[in-house]
Amino acid sequence: MAGLPPLASLSQIKNTPSSLDGIPADLEEDLRAYGCKLIHQAGVLLKLKQVAVATAQILFQRFFYVSSMKQFGIGDTGMGALYLSSKLQECPVKMRDLINVFDLLFQRAAHTVSPSSHPLPDFKYSPMSYFGSTFYDLKESLVVSEMQILKRLGFNTNVVLPYGTLVNYMRLLGLTSREDAVSRAWGYLNDALQTPVYALYAVPTIISAAILLTTRHLDIPLPSTPPNCWWELFDAEWEDLWTVCGYIMRLYRERSPEERSRVVGMMGKKDVRRWLESRPNASQ
Amino acid sequence: MNYIQLEKLGEGTYATVYKGRSRTTNEIVALKEIHLDAEEGTPSTAIREISLMKELKHVNIVRLHDVIHTETKLVLIFEYCERDLKKYMDAHGDRGALDPLTVRSFMFQLLMGTAFCHENRVLHRDLKPQNLLINRKGELKLGDFGLARAFGVPVNTFSNEVVTLWYRAPDVLLGSRTYSTSIDVWSCGCIFAEMISGVPLFRGRDNNDQLLHIMRIIGTPDERTIRKMAQESPEIQVKQWPRYPKIPFQQILPKASPQAIDLLERLLQFDPAKRLTAAEALQHPYFASAGMSAPSAAAGQPYAMAPPAAMPPPSNYPYQHPQQVYPQQAPPNPQMAAMQQAQAMAQQAPNGYAQYPAGYTR
Repeated sequence: MAGLPPLASLSQIKNTPSSLDGIPADLEEDLRAYGCKLIHQAGVLLKLKQVAVATAQILFQRFFYVSSMKQFGIGDTGMGALYLSSKLQECPVKMRDLINVFDLLFQRAAHTVSPSSHPLPDFKYSPMSYFGSTFYDLKESLVVSEMQILKRLGFNTNVVLPYGTLVNYMRLLGLTSREDAVSRAWGYLNDALQTPVYALYAVPTIISAAILLTTRHLDIPLPSTPPNCWWELFDAEWEDLWTVCGYIMRLYRERSPEERSRVVGMMGKKDVRRWLESRPNASQ
Repeated sequence: MNYIQLEKLGEGTYATVYKGRSRTTNEIVALKEIHLDAEEGTPSTAIREISLMKELKHVNIVRLHDVIHTETKLVLIFEYCERDLKKYMDAHGDRGALDPLTVRSFMFQLLMGTAFCHENRVLHRDLKPQNLLINRKGELKLGDFGLARAFGVPVNTFSNEVVTLWYRAPDVLLGSRTYSTSIDVWSCGCIFAEMISGVPLFRGRDNNDQLLHIMRIIGTPDERTIRKMAQESPEIQVKQWPRYPKIPFQQILPKASPQAIDLLERLLQFDPAKRLTAAEALQHPYFASAGMSAPSAAAGQPYAMAPPAAMPPPSNYPYQHPQQVYPQQAPPNPQMAAMQQAQAMAQQAPNGYAQYPAGYTR
């Protein structure tokens, strides 16, 4: 039914399935963001509608509140989520196209973390053979992953996207004449798709956070002292706005080369398991 | 599995339906078995059907009880209904045509189910007699949500490949992708006419032929209407059409009462913006008219719904009726009346096929 979208419960947020498997919170956050980036890149290469890409990213984020990254790799899950969302948004992609695109992305990722000589040689994509086992293996993971998403989310595939409402809010606040403000807020909403906020907060709160970041960065004054706070028009709470802003701003934090390659090397569940086992003081 | 599989009921393009019985409650159910295809994963029809139907709980919508998920197949457990409207018409109608009381009861229930979907922001997108199920109590239920979709803030364009041709709205035939609830209302209108006459109203061979069939009956819309529709849905292809005059529905459906004709008229509007909504249609005087129930009232049937005279007239019916055909008594609240009728029917039909369909046969 097209009602309100489901949000994660407090216990799911406090103890995510991945954290219960020993994955540290900062790593989970980075892996979530990286999975969503992969979905985005694949969506661009496949020329998919933005609504399909956004839907896939939200389903991906929801999925990891009911499943652990030790059981389900972010690569496979991202692929399954995008396949599913292309059906939901009535622009289905061909399985083979999707698999080829993800194969390219996986190869490119593997290339950047390969332990080979420095400086890194240029990346060369080698297409898979038409009837090769790579294709059948990826296809198998794709079908399983789509099924797991549906099963574990209980077929709750309804997703509310923020774009239409953003335009209304901006109009209400009299900001539509500021083109820079509109496109900046739009951009924050898209970037927020790499964070878990769409699985945690109602859409009006997320939109208000995007507007807050925009107006702060562009020095646009809006009434913000009680009892006249603009976000109250949209039933948003200040603490929630602030938290969502925090999630979004953390995306832009500078990461060390080690941090970056750590994520890239953990696209599959096997990589995650290997990493967990290799930790010196694994607390099991 | 918690259900015993009984005989096969039917086979569709992507699923096979069996009759089944629950091991725990002995309840009879319908088992819809969907084979998971390695070529396309979970069929989108199944995804839609499950994600939408598990929340839609209403007497006039087939209830989805459960979903069983295995490696190779997906089994949906539905409430069991004896037959679909098509088969019902063939079995009980006069060459397919149903008697006026049955038509009115089914039409009311069809609109109730449709209005409930729309209230919950779900488009069915494939209403046709084969997808309306009738149980032994004479309850009509919307089924097969394989083409349905949720709609919300309009950011999306939808697929144009929806609704079986004969029940497809002219705006969709013209190429619209931004249609909304009005496409289901069009289908309701087509089904209404079909229940009255026994034959589908517009029987086109292909997209274009279907449009011509529609225009030959409701007339070619004028330039202004087409231009307005194209403005509201830019995907619409504007073409030159032969100019057909409108044929009065009374001529095509001589058996229909003036109120039935009036309702049909308001459902089958070429311009989607002018069609009634399902909720508005439920307020139409057709569902309140006392004249129609006279024959069965005389026969001592429970349909004599004796409208409480003190009941106020339907206040939110938005249209001034051209000729006042129902002035004698204050029109009863139509929903109450039809509801009472449905309840009376339900009570009338205890168990067993013998009495099916509970007083409808004469």
